[in-house]
Amino acid sequence: MMARYWAQIRAVIRLEMKKTFLARRGFWVYVLAFAPALMFAAHDLSMLRSREERSAIAAAHPVPEQALRSIQPGMTREEVIAQLGEPNVDDRSVRFRRTRREFLTYTDGRSRYLFGFADGQLESVSIREEETLPQDSLIFATVFQFFFLRLAIFFGCVGIFTNLFRGEMIDKSLHYYLLAPLRREALLIGKYLAGLLATVVIFTTSAALQLWLLLAPYGSSSVSQFLQTGGWRQIAGYLGVTALACLGYGSVFLASGLFFRNPLIPAGAVLLWESANLFLPAALKRISVIFYLQSLCPVVAPPDRQINPLLALLISSAEPAPAALAIAGLFALTAIVLVLAARKARTLEISYGAD
Amino acid sequence: MTSQMTPPPIEQSLILFEDVSRFYGEVLGVNRVTLSIPPGITSLVGPNGSGKTTLMNLMTGLIRPTRGSIRIRGVAPSDPEKLFHFVGYSTQFDSFPKGLTGFQFVYSFLRLFGWDHAECQDRASQAIARVGLKNAAQRKIEGYSKGMRQRIKLAQALAHDPQVLVLDEPLNGLDPLVRAETIALFRELAAQGRHVLVSSHILHEVDMISDQVILLSNGYVVAEGKIQGVRSEIRDHPMQVLIRCNRPSALAARVFELDTVVEARLHADGGGLLVKTRDADRFYRLLNHIALDGIDIESVAPADDNVNSVYEYLIGGEEPGR
Repeated sequence: MMARYWAQIRAVIRLEMKKTFLARRGFWVYVLAFAPALMFAAHDLSMLRSREERSAIAAAHPVPEQALRSIQPGMTREEVIAQLGEPNVDDRSVRFRRTRREFLTYTDGRSRYLFGFADGQLESVSIREEETLPQDSLIFATVFQFFFLRLAIFFGCVGIFTNLFRGEMIDKSLHYYLLAPLRREALLIGKYLAGLLATVVIFTTSAALQLWLLLAPYGSSSVSQFLQTGGWRQIAGYLGVTALACLGYGSVFLASGLFFRNPLIPAGAVLLWESANLFLPAALKRISVIFYLQSLCPVVAPPDRQINPLLALLISSAEPAPAALAIAGLFALTAIVLVLAARKARTLEISYGAD
Repeated sequence: MTSQMTPPPIEQSLILFEDVSRFYGEVLGVNRVTLSIPPGITSLVGPNGSGKTTLMNLMTGLIRPTRGSIRIRGVAPSDPEKLFHFVGYSTQFDSFPKGLTGFQFVYSFLRLFGWDHAECQDRASQAIARVGLKNAAQRKIEGYSKGMRQRIKLAQALAHDPQVLVLDEPLNGLDPLVRAETIALFRELAAQGRHVLVSSHILHEVDMISDQVILLSNGYVVAEGKIQGVRSEIRDHPMQVLIRCNRPSALAARVFELDTVVEARLHADGGGLLVKTRDADRFYRLLNHIALDGIDIESVAPADDNVNSVYEYLIGGEEPGR
């Protein structure tokens, strides 16, 4: 009996695969999923270009780091040039409110130094250090938690999972499934697994690509050091959280496609709830998917420095859930939602006119 | 105890509706339908909105009755696992899963039965050949004509060799040749002891194919039984025939030779005659003689040979579907 159910579930998955992976109206899911990868690719390109540029300048105008560090505010432009030589990148001069401002740029091959003069006297020194892997991994954590989890996977799951039932009601093709000797529960599980397979493949591929792009511009020694000091755990953590996000959000949006004629309304409500999670009291925070997902993220994203101070006051902190509890919580949530959806599927009627 | 739970053999061969009603909110779908349908070709006849599709959807579990019970050869429609091993349904919906060829469509849904690749491939090929779509099987359904889409739906409904075949307007969009072939297929299936339930709003079609008919109006069954019974009722009602000919006045004089002709009216353009007769068969025989007597008859067409006119007298002038 079980063998027959699995054969039927596999048949449903096969039928759904084309729709979930290659649907023309699902193209935007790929755009959303791979947007961060594009961003990291652009970041890599700009990083490599500026690194090459700095190296070329440093080779042409070698300035030791010690000499650059010895420059002090109050020195004149001439004193700086006498000590460091002619500036190698820029020498811009602007007049602002009767003050003549000038900027001289130097590099030691690793960092960029910008000396700002006011009426010929050194006023400011700005040092832009070369990007480091720990810094970039913090940027990755921020993009992952605030864009990838909260928006890309969220809306990707809305697009794919709500379409599994609702899309077929709109296309008037759901009845073919209901006219087969197939338990409605098996149909639901088949459709859910098809959606899960599609979203997990799309989003974990994107996450893996992003991680590769994060590491790609760094030398092998930096990368192996990163991997040996918890890097592998981080990679596994990000990929695991991505898959769990698809699991949790997928079940919610599959059910909303069954319960609501317009699943965008519950999707909006869930988005609002998940977005408000930052400001909810600790007890309410736990009634959300994002709380458990963030608890499982391997790197804590730094708080947004641009946040409005009034909103910052409202942010509440809650101890992250232990990993085992977070994973169990997500599986429990998924199971409960799928059981409710299965009950609804059992009484599902075909009335396309009303849909 | 066990014998009480097992349905009696007669029930195993019938489609039974017991006091079945279905409402869509305030709107009536069907009301208090009690039917016992034996194997053979049964036509559900009625205009749009009369409840034909509702009855078909009820017997296949696509919708549930508000009241009453339905058994299809002893199985409730709420048990799809048992039901669809012996029931096939070709719905009225002219829609298909996107991007599939005719073969993929039939094959993919056969896989839902749990059969292996080879068996599904074999059954799909046979069903497609049976409806005459072998050459188009590898083409995308999006490129099919209306008639081909009807036939591929029929192939899908037939592919698992069901004992009960439910077909909603299956002859719509078919050309005359394919229509004749399809009707022959229905007859063949019925002769094997299967149920073939066909809905139609074209009386002529029903007359040709059915062993029995169920006439529906506004959600109620208004008549049911063997086709001969309904046909004789129709015969009692004057039938209108429009004849286009070169001498309509001469023709009018001749047709009154028959005592079953109750009215003859010249057509406004002077090129035809509208005749009301109680016996269409005798009238047509007379027309053959008249044609031999020198009146040049261009065309003969029934003017009211449709379900609407049957309703008109069966239901007492009520306009169907309103």
